[in-house]
Amino acid sequence: MLKEKYTTEIADILSRYPVKRSALLPLLYLAQREQGYVSEAAMQEIAGILKLTPPQVYETVTFYTMLNLKPLGKFHLQVCKSLMCALVGSDILIGWLEKKLGIKAGETTHDGLFTISKVECLGACGTGPMMQVNDDYYERLTEEKVDRILADLKRDGTSALKTGPFMWPEPAPAKRGA
Amino acid sequence: MPKHEPVLLKNMLQPGYTGSLADYERAGGYQALKKVVGKVAPADVTAMVIKSGLRGRGGAGFPTGVKWNFLPKDYKGTKYLCCNADESEPGTFKDRQLMERDPHQVLEGIAIACYAIGAETAYIYIRGEFVLGSKILDQAVTEARAAGYLGKNVLGTGVNVDIWVHRGAGAYICGEETALLESLEGKRGLPRVKPPFPATSGLYGKPTVINNVETLANLPHIVNRGPEWFASIGSPPKSAGTRIFCVSGHVKRPGNYEVPMGITCRELIFEQAGGMRGDKPLKAFIPGGASAPFLTPDHLDVKLDFESVAQAGSMLGSGGVTVMEEGTDMVWAALRLMEFFHHESCGKCSPCREGSSWLVQTLRRILAKRGRMEDLETLVQLCNNIAGRTVCAFGDAEVAPILSTLKYWRPEYEALIREAEAHRAHELPMAAARH
Amino acid sequence: MPNVAVETVKLTIDGQSLTVPKGTLVIEAARQVGVMVPHFCYHPKLKPDANCRMCLVEIEKIPKLQTACSTPVAEGMVVRTATTVVNEAHKSVLEFILANHPLDCPVCDQGGRCDLQDFSHEYTPTTSRFIEVKRVFQKEYFSPLIEKQMNRCVQCLRCVRYCDEVMDVKALAPVNRGTMTEIKHFGTHELDCEFCGGCIQICPVGAITSRLSMYEFRPWMLKRADTVCTYCGDGCQITLQTKDNQLIEVNSSLGAGRNNGDLCARGYFGYHATTHPDRLTTPLVRRDGRLVPATWDEALEYVAETFAQLKLKHGAQVFAGVITARCTNEDLYLFQKFMRLAVGTNKLDSSARYGQVNAVRALCRIQGTHRWPVTFEDIAAAEALLLVGTNITEANPITGLRVKEAVKKHGATLLTVESLQPTVGTISNIANLAAHHFTAHPDQYKPVVLGLIKAVIEEGLADQPLSQKAPAYLQAIRDAVHALSWPTIEAATGSSAASFKEAARAFARTARAVIIVGAGVLREPGASGLAATLQDLLLLTGHHGRPGCGLAPLAEQNNDQGAVEMGTVTECLPGPCDLDDQEARARVSALWQEDLPQGPGLTIPEILEEARGKTLKALYLVGEDPVGSLPESARAKEALEGVEFLVCQELFLTETAQMAHVVLPACSYAEKDGTFTNTEGHVQQVRHAIEPVGESRPDWEIFSDLAGLMGYPLEYGDAKDLLKEIRALVPGYNLPGPTPKPSRPDHTAVDRYLQQGYAEDLGERYRYTPPVKAAGRLTLLVDQSLFHSGKFSTKAKGLLHLQAEGAVSLNPADAARLGIVEGDRVLLSNELGHCRTTAKVWDRIPAGLCRFPEHFDQEARRLLSVSIDVATGVPYYRSAQVKVEKAQ
Ligand SMILES: Cc1cc2nc3c(=O)[nH]c(=O)nc-3n(C[C@H](O)[C@H](O)[C@H](O)COP(=O)(O)O)c2cc1C
Ligand code: SF4
Ligand code: FES
Repeated sequence: MLKEKYTTEIADILSRYPVKRSALLPLLYLAQREQGYVSEAAMQEIAGILKLTPPQVYETVTFYTMLNLKPLGKFHLQVCKSLMCALVGSDILIGWLEKKLGIKAGETTHDGLFTISKVECLGACGTGPMMQVNDDYYERLTEEKVDRILADLKRDGTSALKTGPFMWPEPAPAKRGA
Repeated sequence: MPKHEPVLLKNMLQPGYTGSLADYERAGGYQALKKVVGKVAPADVTAMVIKSGLRGRGGAGFPTGVKWNFLPKDYKGTKYLCCNADESEPGTFKDRQLMERDPHQVLEGIAIACYAIGAETAYIYIRGEFVLGSKILDQAVTEARAAGYLGKNVLGTGVNVDIWVHRGAGAYICGEETALLESLEGKRGLPRVKPPFPATSGLYGKPTVINNVETLANLPHIVNRGPEWFASIGSPPKSAGTRIFCVSGHVKRPGNYEVPMGITCRELIFEQAGGMRGDKPLKAFIPGGASAPFLTPDHLDVKLDFESVAQAGSMLGSGGVTVMEEGTDMVWAALRLMEFFHHESCGKCSPCREGSSWLVQTLRRILAKRGRMEDLETLVQLCNNIAGRTVCAFGDAEVAPILSTLKYWRPEYEALIREAEAHRAHELPMAAARH
Repeated sequence: MPNVAVETVKLTIDGQSLTVPKGTLVIEAARQVGVMVPHFCYHPKLKPDANCRMCLVEIEKIPKLQTACSTPVAEGMVVRTATTVVNEAHKSVLEFILANHPLDCPVCDQGGRCDLQDFSHEYTPTTSRFIEVKRVFQKEYFSPLIEKQMNRCVQCLRCVRYCDEVMDVKALAPVNRGTMTEIKHFGTHELDCEFCGGCIQICPVGAITSRLSMYEFRPWMLKRADTVCTYCGDGCQITLQTKDNQLIEVNSSLGAGRNNGDLCARGYFGYHATTHPDRLTTPLVRRDGRLVPATWDEALEYVAETFAQLKLKHGAQVFAGVITARCTNEDLYLFQKFMRLAVGTNKLDSSARYGQVNAVRALCRIQGTHRWPVTFEDIAAAEALLLVGTNITEANPITGLRVKEAVKKHGATLLTVESLQPTVGTISNIANLAAHHFTAHPDQYKPVVLGLIKAVIEEGLADQPLSQKAPAYLQAIRDAVHALSWPTIEAATGSSAASFKEAARAFARTARAVIIVGAGVLREPGASGLAATLQDLLLLTGHHGRPGCGLAPLAEQNNDQGAVEMGTVTECLPGPCDLDDQEARARVSALWQEDLPQGPGLTIPEILEEARGKTLKALYLVGEDPVGSLPESARAKEALEGVEFLVCQELFLTETAQMAHVVLPACSYAEKDGTFTNTEGHVQQVRHAIEPVGESRPDWEIFSDLAGLMGYPLEYGDAKDLLKEIRALVPGYNLPGPTPKPSRPDHTAVDRYLQQGYAEDLGERYRYTPPVKAAGRLTLLVDQSLFHSGKFSTKAKGLLHLQAEGAVSLNPADAARLGIVEGDRVLLSNELGHCRTTAKVWDRIPAGLCRFPEHFDQEARRLLSVSIDVATGVPYYRSAQVKVEKAQ
């Protein structure tokens, strides 16, 4: 039950909007963070909190690609396949991932660790090929980099290769100056 | 140092600049807000923005101050500002950089706009995938609120400006302003039928302005340096100011380049972005995001301003410039974009919903060498039957890749189909005879 | 509706000029000049969504084609709907819509009345350019009643929008996006909603269809009859569609009747009751203690003879008759004429006794007329609405829709005083729309109303002119509410003084206010008094007598109002006029050319009393089943056993009919002609759709024949003849128009009340005595559910799918306290008896209350006691104090 566990967070979210329903996406994120996906029970509970009917929650959930109605692997590898990334090799990246993990896009590894998805443009077109793993972006990927990332994820649950605050091209190093 | 003086990227180009409030203040941040709030009449701020010639950076290029002026005059109730940070037009990745590297510049712009239009609440609708960006913004809002730049009683002037960051959840269409509002209201992101326009009936039915991140980020500079300064940059009067162009594809140095509007495509691609990777010849480029028709090497000298690009048969759009080298399969390229549009069609309008799947399937068939010559005519007709017949501009956008590639590279389509015909004649004489 | 000056706009459509009200949509304006713009997603009831893009038209000076369904007219607009460009656009949109359509017309129940078929016929070539793969949705059922075939869906979302905008139920969801969008319900169980049938009716194609009639017909095989639903007082017009004397389907058309195309589950899925195999098909006569079939001649002669003998032996005063208010006006009218002339007694009554009598009394007393002073349109146009004890969604769903319309479309302020709590559920909860809601047990309605009146007085909201016109009346109320302290009211109602004040302000400060009162008040002790007090509220706030304002009591049965007007409640002659109004008696007897019988009338409870006392020898019951519907404590069975000769005229062999000496099979509404008068006093035509089941006959014909056999010929050619005679005695029965004329209050009556009438019982009405309640008990309320009406509907297979048995609904907190969970067997008990049933835990039920549907109350009735209203003779038996525990 979200209501008990996240009482203050929910109150804080609700306080941002004059109309309760606006809190729907934030609450769905909360539910997904909790369970890894949005369960029927969660939709029902959220409907109750927001004074909506469950179908109103359901229709909204299914419109957005980032909300899942089914559990996924612990690491969701979303590879951008749109034109800009495709120009710089995203199809090769997908092939590499599929080979490394032994699954096809859309599938989850047996150990439940990785799910590969092909997704549309993630707003990192200048730094492709790229993928998003859970909340983090990984860009300008190469086979070697992917190998390291997968290993890091398995080992540490995260990887230092993820992108920080974005800027590309990178600013000139401090010293070279004017 | 870059050849052109950057405005929006200036701070972040400074070595060691972190985008923190302290850094931003040191670089002169929030001076503009101090200058206007409680000191300049809101209407005068709007007048200043109109005078600057600033036009929207989100895609449609609508004059920003004029848009603000559409709000009902003498309206006493609640108004809203929404900052469109959905940045989901393929080829575009500038807002991400503005938000993650210099968030306070965006917040200051939002606060100024709120003051000018009389909105006490602004929502930043950021695409769901930008988790990092939303965290950075959240933190920046907290900092700015603590410093008195935001919240109740901004800078002790009695003006209130609350900013909330609202994450989308994966839907390109939510960049369309009315779909954005629906999504922000917790619904499916389906564009609304207009009129009424958001200026009179927007978020929760209240008068609302929607502006892009880059548009808003320009405001502190217009206030600080004056509308005349702004109007002198680029190709005034219609295309004043700088633009951050996002260069992607087959260039040596892809990335964000802030240049005055009006430089040529050639300069952007060959000087700023370092030219073609592997020095192959350029075959095609898109000047303004996936929704903008493709252009050819013949268009390299077109100036990157609203009018010139439109005259060349494309549009400046979101500033996403994608470059393709010789050897790129144009049918494939069109299909990749069409697949995007098919995936992202919200499904509201029949022509867009059904048309996008029809177009994708036909392109796939042609690419798989199962096309027919009639398909090309059908493609054109379907495109024409979608464009202009839908609730939102998505319908116009989704046909751009097909129509423009068919216009310039029709032989590539025909070659694929001829191969298919040869195949058919060879393998299926009966069927071929029947057709 | 008051006439407000409407601004108009002049425009040209396809060369024809026309003037229409400002704000009219182009598609509607075109319709007015006979131009039909093709469309799917547009529906006059719904907000334009412009998603199908089918209705594109050319408008001069606008470069792009515009959607006629969402574009309002403008002065001087020039619209073209049939140019080449427009035609091409229509064709192309259809081509898109058809691209993924399965073209399975041969197996689609919509075939022959499908918009997609019709427009395709008009616009598209027979071959398609679409040679790609069609997307396929798996077949899924919404429920045993509704089939959905998403491959046929054109994604117009009319179903979803109707479910939200009109019904306020929001049970349907468009899920996923783009071409994969489909309409679904939530969860893994089947659809759970109000089952109004709206999604089926509004779907322009065959994507949502009824499984009750699947594959049974093609539309052109069906015969249609427009008639009126008998399940509640709203009086919806329905079209019964039949094939080979079988009812196949019910529809309702937009623009027709008072329901304007809307129905509830009972109306839409309840039609199989009439042709249930248990219907009586021949007369039955008791021989050697058993009821055996007889011919009509045998049965009628037997009745006539026995009546004659009994009359000869004991006189006419040993007879009594009761008729159900579900009969037509013609039946009702002839019944009372039969009783008064052929039998010679005034001892007759009808089921309008159970509540409607209270309503009509209160109206007559203070406004001088017996009908609503408002119409459904006035409800929709009201600025403030106060609902008291209506349970409106369940009891009068279509009136409920007008309330929703007022709030959702026109922004009316809604105040609700109801035995329910605002919660979102599968059945729309009117309290959710309320700006001010008071949760009340039946015995709390009175203190809530008094609280509102006190707030009106104390907040200075009382109407100024009233203080000049009726200072004593105003002072009396002032004194009365002054004597009631806020702490008393707060304790009695559980609501704060502040909430009363806010609500009172919201109500008083509006120009158009309507109060709707329902069974929760009308069928509980103190009813006629409280209905009068509600009119005080209207008088105090200056709303009484103003057009568009007034008190609207809800009729439960389809012809409750007609029963009163036909003179089938015992205190009334047709008109309705008082039984001892000499002028009226003279008028009736002049028309009938007979003297009216002397002697008193008898109410239903009094009839049972006389039967029990054995002073009653013969009882004629038409469609009334006292044994099966009154609580055991009314001892109806014992009473009827004492009657020498019991005649029951019925559709089914009810518990009472099983005791009868003669049972006469009557036609249902679907087999007869006549009129019904709905809750707002609108008289509507009933038309037969099928031939009588078996040998059953219309009720009035039976009365007529019996009268003839008894030597008092009451002959009529058909129901219309009877209506002609009714018209001579009862105002308001001239040819029914599309909308009723609300009655105008009679000022002399209002003045009489304001000057002295109020004083009769004002003291009593404004006194509050807290009820005595035994600790640890819950208040059991036996009332109406949405899926049934009386017991008749429990014969409808469609409705039994929705609700097949009774269950007691409990508030979650009460249930938890009692250790009861959903589905548990529970024992309800009190001094009178006990009953076992299943528990349902429902957050809509207020704490301390539990509810049981009257339609399945055979056992629950053991717990109810009857009290009789001294003023109106109404028997009250809907609530009781009970102990609830988990059954062992
Ligand atoms: C399909 C579609 C997608 C859009 N996506 C975006 C977007 O991601 N970001 C954005 O700023 N504007 C987007 N727009 C443009 C907005 O509708 C709107 O014009 C813009 O936010 C206005 O801000 P501006 O005037 O500052 O440009 C999109 C428009 C359409 C039709
Ligand atoms: S089911 Fe019917 S009414 Fe509902 S959206 Fe589909 S086609 Fe329209
Ligand atoms: S009827 Fe106008 S768009 Fe559907």
